[in-house]
Amino acid sequence: MAKSDDCVHILQGLLVFGNVVIGMCGIALTAECIYFVSNPHGVYPLLKATENNDIYAAAWIGIFVGLALFALSILGIIGVIKASRTLLLVYIILMLITFAFEMASCITAATHRDSLTPSLFLKQMLERYQRSEPGNNSDNEITKTWDELMLQNHCCGVLGPSDWQEYTSAFRLTHNDADYPWPRKCCVLDAQGLPVNLDGCKLGVPGYYNSNGCYDAISGPVNTHAWGVAWFGFAILCWTFCVLLGTMFYWSGIEY
Amino acid sequence: LPTPPARLPYVPQVSPMALLGKVTATTFALERPCCVFDGHADASDAVWLAVAFANASATFRNPRSRADVPRYKQLPTARSYMTLETAAAAFSCSAQSPPVLRVGGDTACRDQGREDPCNGPLPSPGPYRVKFLLMGCRGPKAETRWSEPILLLRAVSPGTIDPAPTRHGSDVVVIASILASLGAVLATIVLGALGAKVWGSLCHQDLGTDAFIRRSYRTHHIPPALPQPLPPGCRCSPPGLCCSAPRPPALC
Repeated sequence: MAKSDDCVHILQGLLVFGNVVIGMCGIALTAECIYFVSNPHGVYPLLKATENNDIYAAAWIGIFVGLALFALSILGIIGVIKASRTLLLVYIILMLITFAFEMASCITAATHRDSLTPSLFLKQMLERYQRSEPGNNSDNEITKTWDELMLQNHCCGVLGPSDWQEYTSAFRLTHNDADYPWPRKCCVLDAQGLPVNLDGCKLGVPGYYNSNGCYDAISGPVNTHAWGVAWFGFAILCWTFCVLLGTMFYWSGIEY
Repeated sequence: LPTPPARLPYVPQVSPMALLGKVTATTFALERPCCVFDGHADASDAVWLAVAFANASATFRNPRSRADVPRYKQLPTARSYMTLETAAAAFSCSAQSPPVLRVGGDTACRDQGREDPCNGPLPSPGPYRVKFLLMGCRGPKAETRWSEPILLLRAVSPGTIDPAPTRHGSDVVVIASILASLGAVLATIVLGALGAKVWGSLCHQDLGTDAFIRRSYRTHHIPPALPQPLPPGCRCSPPGLCCSAPRPPALC
């Protein structure tokens, strides 16, 4: 008899511990997703313009799933300690729903991350950077985002300044090739924002222009974002799976 | 007859330096011909650059004086022009000057249509051949060889870029498959439990939960039953057993 009681207490202890971990991970997931949604690296306009916003949708779902996990973990702890069939049944059902949502969020974040190739950004940049159609707000956003990106990261184009030479672009329609082989923002600028050596920049003399592409500056934050949501969510779900199995076993053993 | 110009062995070429913009769609950068004209040039002479389409270089005729120099605007019809008029002293060995000559870098003269030698952007990808011509007061004094054909860049439309990913990373497959299987296991357990319950209630079977978890409940203290006093008339019956009706005394 005493042995069975000990086993029960150990199971209860494990379930409480499991729920505590779930609660803390839920808070961490919420905090992480709020950080991503706040767009700290300024690449959100580029993603919005690809008309595939799934990474941000996944982060928004992550915020609410994290809060739900925290609330449900408290419910679970109370239910396990009191050995209440009703509370635990509610806990199991709500946890399954949360599990389904988080599963959707993880898979969405991972899939969308895969679709953000350099070619996608290259095509978008060539077609929309400095497009002169008046009144199109998202084109202005894209131009501003690229200008800031190239200024702050000392980079040019997606793969390099030769992007502007290999392909025609909306930029090329308004800026002739002889004066602007690539945008002025690709030149090394002085404190006033003017090129240090304009002829050197136009010729491509090393040291007067930025020769590396901006793809790393874009994909770095996006990768962190996607993997933060996808892999962390995946880890939480694996843990939640084990806790849910334990809770179901525990629930089936409680007498009416 | 004027003497034919001296043929110098120098061959003009695109600058060998590592410059990203040395050949663009409308410009190219030539190596500066230092020391080439020393010994042929006077102080008043000028060095011109003759640019011609590669298939028109054989028919190019040196102009006899500065007034006959083909202009930039005639390039589409005459298939050649001359530009970059520079003092010969700029190409001497001792001159400090940038190591490249950019052909096609002046958009202002094209737009404003000035008559001076115009270093305007080239209108088509070419290919072009160039040579240097040393012009004195009486006509050309020396010329270099024609260069190899220089082909300019031709840009393609961004519509040819295919933005689709080549294949999904293995990460997505791992996450999706493991999560899907976990979800399926949970769903199976829940549906199985539900199904068993429904089946049990349909067949009116008492499944008898083997409850191993007791809720903690307060026990009530039930005092043990006190032995009742024997009713009169029961003597030899076993002690504690009460008789309800008097019986004839039985043998002990």
